[in-house]
Amino acid sequence: MRSFIKKDLLIFLRDWKELLTVLLLPIILVIVLNFAFAGLFDSGDEVSMDLQLAVVNQDNETEAMEQLKERLVRDAAFEEQEANAILEAAGEIQPVQLLSDYLESDDVKEWVTVHHLEEKAAAEKVKEGELDGMLVIPQGYTADSLYASFAGEPPTTSLIYKIEEETTDSSALQQFIQGFIEQLNYQFAMQEITSGTEIEADLPEGGMEDIGAAHDFTMTQYFTIALGGLFALFVVATVAMKTGVEIRDQVFNRILLANSHPMRFLIGKMASTICLVVLQIIFVLLVSHFLMAVFPDRSIAFWGGVFVMIVLLALVLSGLAAIYTALLLRMNSVDAANGIFMFFTLLFGTLGGGFVPIYMLPEWLQQIGEWTPNGLFLSILTEWVQFEKLSSIFQPSMFMIGYFLLFTFIGLALFPKRGRAQ
Amino acid sequence: MLETINLSKSFKGKKVVQDLNLYLADGESVGLLGPNGAGKSTTISMISTLIKPTSGRITMNGVNAIAKPGEIRSVSGVVPQELALYQELSAYENLKFFGSIYKLRGKELEKAIQQALEFVGLDDRKKDLVKTYSGGMKRRLNIAAALLHRPKILILDEPTVGIDPQSRNHILEAVRALNQTDGTTILYTSHYMEEVEQLCDRLYIMDHGKVIAAGTKDELLSILSTENKIKVELNKLDEAFVEQVKTIEGVHKTEVTELQLKIIAAKGSNLISKLVHLTEQHQIQLLHFQTETPSLEDVFLHLTGRTLRD
Ligand SMILES: Nc1ncnc2c1ncn2[C@@H]1O[C@H](COP(=O)(O)OP(=O)(O)O)[C@@H](O)[C@H]1O
Ligand SMILES: [Mg+2]
Repeated sequence: MRSFIKKDLLIFLRDWKELLTVLLLPIILVIVLNFAFAGLFDSGDEVSMDLQLAVVNQDNETEAMEQLKERLVRDAAFEEQEANAILEAAGEIQPVQLLSDYLESDDVKEWVTVHHLEEKAAAEKVKEGELDGMLVIPQGYTADSLYASFAGEPPTTSLIYKIEEETTDSSALQQFIQGFIEQLNYQFAMQEITSGTEIEADLPEGGMEDIGAAHDFTMTQYFTIALGGLFALFVVATVAMKTGVEIRDQVFNRILLANSHPMRFLIGKMASTICLVVLQIIFVLLVSHFLMAVFPDRSIAFWGGVFVMIVLLALVLSGLAAIYTALLLRMNSVDAANGIFMFFTLLFGTLGGGFVPIYMLPEWLQQIGEWTPNGLFLSILTEWVQFEKLSSIFQPSMFMIGYFLLFTFIGLALFPKRGRAQ
Repeated sequence: MLETINLSKSFKGKKVVQDLNLYLADGESVGLLGPNGAGKSTTISMISTLIKPTSGRITMNGVNAIAKPGEIRSVSGVVPQELALYQELSAYENLKFFGSIYKLRGKELEKAIQQALEFVGLDDRKKDLVKTYSGGMKRRLNIAAALLHRPKILILDEPTVGIDPQSRNHILEAVRALNQTDGTTILYTSHYMEEVEQLCDRLYIMDHGKVIAAGTKDELLSILSTENKIKVELNKLDEAFVEQVKTIEGVHKTEVTELQLKIIAAKGSNLISKLVHLTEQHQIQLLHFQTETPSLEDVFLHLTGRTLRD
């Protein structure tokens, strides 16, 4: 077995073009992307945005309390007394107030200017391009969102956000407003409301952070991990292509003729894939780290966790290599097989956030993306970088092991018994 | 002894090898001669157990080798027609890997590698990557890789295609030495008649998937014992003359190359006097003529109507 692994490693390492591609290209890309995105997200003063937002309030907050009480008693069958207690608590929340506090907060004020306007005037100004967008608080919004949170039902009215033209500025604005809306709903859903409990909604902070994150998850970290994973896919595709050459050049026949069990060939491929992927990702991560301080001040335990994740990804990809090898032995055309491998590399790469930052994809694609090996790797490490909690990465790690077993099983099942289908 | 009985192979319904009966006795050197596409490589692949025949049997010392490919694999070395080498590895690394899959280890492996390298004359270049080798060197290494485990039977599929004469002689000498000093049984395929003539005790001539003649060289030549081959050189040549030559009684074949005319005719057909007579009629001068003993090439021509290199 050692000789199988040794020859695969030697052949891979001799190919210096390939080696440069999988080792240096991701690092160069991380550096380039890091610079390209740094202006956009990290330093607000370099690229200053001044968004003009119209806020149209059609809701009447004094009426809201009456409406809320009526609905609590009528629809949710609360006792008069209970309803009063809830009203008292609710009086302190005032979603509309929260929203304007958010828009007036220091973080947001820096780049958003709020104009309170009537709907018609606002619409006109947005149309003329004087304003970037408008936010309409519809009639009954307060009553409805409060009712929804107390009765535990989804709200029926929601904030309406309108823009005239999709521009970088306006869509950035939309993202932040959307963030606020989701945050608010989330807070309501999370807090168990019993009478007498102080209700408080946390305001989200601006920027890319999640609530309660122990560490920020930066763009540079994203690129380093995503590109490391992407190029690991290329390593597997390259191993497969070299296997194709072995089969086309008939060296594989020599292995059969030596009466050496063809399964050793397959397992050798898996083992060398593990070695190559582990070495490649560690190289990319460490060099990026030393060049750009990607993961500053992290503990040994953190790095240990990262290493374990890399090994898990390498295992999954070795399973993929097993499938590729079995397919190569089954298919007549090595070129067609290589085409299939390239297709999967690009597919997994795209879905897993290797080419386009994953949050730029539509929601449903993001969810599919997390099911690709590299996408899963990215999402596990995203958690790990922020929280460094074993409990939060345990389950996805089990998925990784599941993938490894599944892929290996498929590879073995597809592997032709005599070594080659004739 | 290795034997095939009515061995046949079809690819997608196309018969590539048909009812091939062939045997290899221990210590023999046997040639398989035929033009490109005759089915030689397909035959070799079946005998070396790489592909399964469509029908027919292969036995090794009486044991069914299709069911038990190990019977043949363990005693044979195969030199495939295409180079089966890792281009990115050195000669030494290639041999080390191929030796290790034959379960050779440590000192034994090193010794086998060293002997194989010396045998094919590549010892001084063993550290260089195969992709930097000349065609002839690659072919020699291709052979060395089949010798590491000291096979009793060596099967070579056109090992000298497209290489320089020096490498070619080296290979032929090496194969002969293996057969005569080590007693290795040889199965050698080629479309070069001279090689097979030089090396082999016995040969099979294949065409279109079938064996069309078999035997020792003399036996095969005796197919032509009833024929004479005459080569004449003339000062000019015209169609009418050649047509008339063809009508001479006993003439089987004529072949024209510039001012040369080759004629194959039945023995004792009194050809020469008739030919001289004809040249006088056509006012052609006969510059030179010679009768030749037929070669295996002529046997092939006689049997198929084509030359080996068509
Ligand atoms: N795998 C294959 N599939 C289809 N046809 C094949 C295959 N291998 C060989 N052939 C055909 O079989 C014939 C004999 O080929 P081959 O055995 O290589 O001849 P040779 O070695 O004598 O030149 C050729 O016509 C070739 O095209
Ligand atoms: Mg051939």
